[in-house]
Amino acid sequence: MKLELINKLFECVEFGKININSPYPPQMKGLPGADEITQEALVAGVNPDEILNRALIAAMNKVGEKFTEKKIFVPQMLLSAKAMNASMNHLKPYFADGSVKRKGVFIVGTVFGDLHDIGKNLLSMMVEGAGWEVIDLGIDVNTEAFVEKVKEYPDAVVGISALLTTTMVNIEPVIKAIKQASPATKVIVGGAPLTAAFAASIGADAYGKNPREGIIWLDLQSQKMNN
Amino acid sequence: MSDTFQYFQFAFREVGPASGEIFRFIQSTDIEDEHPAKIFVHQIREKLKYIEGISGGYLIKKNSPVSVKQGSVQIDQTELQIGRQISDYLKEASSMALFVCSAGPVFTDMINEQSQQGNIMEAYLLDAIGSLTVEKAMDHVQQVLSDEMRQRGMHISNRYSPGYCNWELQEQKKLFSLIGRNPVGVTLTDSSLMIPAKSVSGIIGIGRNLRKRAYGCKICNNSTCTYRKIIDEQNEEYK
Repeated sequence: MKLELINKLFECVEFGKININSPYPPQMKGLPGADEITQEALVAGVNPDEILNRALIAAMNKVGEKFTEKKIFVPQMLLSAKAMNASMNHLKPYFADGSVKRKGVFIVGTVFGDLHDIGKNLLSMMVEGAGWEVIDLGIDVNTEAFVEKVKEYPDAVVGISALLTTTMVNIEPVIKAIKQASPATKVIVGGAPLTAAFAASIGADAYGKNPREGIIWLDLQSQKMNN
Repeated sequence: MSDTFQYFQFAFREVGPASGEIFRFIQSTDIEDEHPAKIFVHQIREKLKYIEGISGGYLIKKNSPVSVKQGSVQIDQTELQIGRQISDYLKEASSMALFVCSAGPVFTDMINEQSQQGNIMEAYLLDAIGSLTVEKAMDHVQQVLSDEMRQRGMHISNRYSPGYCNWELQEQKKLFSLIGRNPVGVTLTDSSLMIPAKSVSGIIGIGRNLRKRAYGCKICNNSTCTYRKIIDEQNEEYK
C-alpha cells in the first residue's frame, strides 16, 4: 500500500498531475493527483522523509534527466514542478519541526541591474524539488542583500543569475563581497549569456549550464558538508 | 525627414505571435496538443485578441560621423557609447532612428498574477508571448521606417539596443533623454531597465551607403536571445 502510494506520487510528479481536477495527463483524468496522494500517504503513515526522497526528489530527478536528454521541454518541467509543489505544501510542517531534513539552504537571486526572473524561478523550483530549502531574493538584487543573507545562513550555497551580457559583469563584485564576508561560501552562477570560462574568471565556484547541472553540483556540496 | 516622433499603435490581433511561433521561441515544438501549455496558449491568445495599447515609434536625428575606434556616435550634444561592434555596423549612417516600443503593462500584470498564484508555467508562457509581441510590433515600425527611407534612396541597418551586442545598459538613460517626451510611456528604473518590462528601445542607422549587417550572435551563447531569433529569420536574406 505504502509503496503503491509512493509510486503513484512519483508518477504524478513526473507527468505533472497536480490534483484531481487537473485534466492532464489524459490517462490520469479524474484520478487523484500529487495533492491528494500526498495527503493519503501521510494519513496511511508513510514517512514524510520517504515521500520527499523516494517520490518527489526521485521524480524531479527523472524529470531533470528527461529535460537534459531533450525528451521533455520547459513547460513540461514546470508542470512537474507545480505537482511537486502541491505535494511539498503538505510536507512543510515536517520541515518546520525538523522531522524531515533538507540537503541544505540555497540562496538565489538575479544580479543587480537585471530584471529577468524566469530562469531563476525555474532553477529555484528544480532545486527545491531536489530537496533543498530555497531562499529566493528575487530580481535586481544588490550586493548587500546577498551578503546579509549569507551572514544569516553561513552554511548556505549561493546562486546568482544574469540574462544580459551587460549585466553578467555585475556578478563579479557580488562574489567578491560574499567571499570577503564568508570565505567558505560556495557560489554557483548561471544564465543564458554565461559560460564556464566566464564563471571561472569572475571567481565563481561553479557554472550551471542548466538546472540539472546545477543540482548535481549542489548535491555534491551537500555531501561534502554532511561528511 | 521628420524630426517629430512617429507613433504607431497596434492591437494584439495584428502583432501577437501565432502559437507555433511561441513554441518555436521557447524551443518546445514537440509538445502534444492536449498539454496544458498548448491549451493555455490557445486560451490566452483568444483573451488577448482585443487587447490594444501596444505602441511604438521613432524619432530621426542626424548624427556626427560614427567613430568605430571610440565605439561611439554623437547625436545632438550627447555621445552614445554604443561599442565597437555596433559602431562598425553603423559607420555609414548619417542619421539615426531612435526607437522605443512597448507591449504595455498588461503582460507584466498577467505574469505577476500567474507567478503569485504559483502558475509558473503560465507565467513563463506569458513572458515569451510578451517578448514576441513587442518584437513583432517593432518589426512593423521598422518596416515603415525602411519603406519611407527607401523612397528617399536611403538604407537602414538592423536595430540595436542597450544591453545587447556590448552596448552598456546604462546608456539607455542617454537614449531616453535624446528621445524625450513620447506617447509610448516607457520609463526607466534606476538601473536603466524599462517599465513596462516588455519594451524595447534602441537605434537604427540610416544612410545612403549603409548595408544591413548580420547580428554578431556567433560570439554570444544566448540561444534564446530575441536578436538571435531575428537573425535566424533573416538567414535566408543573407544567403
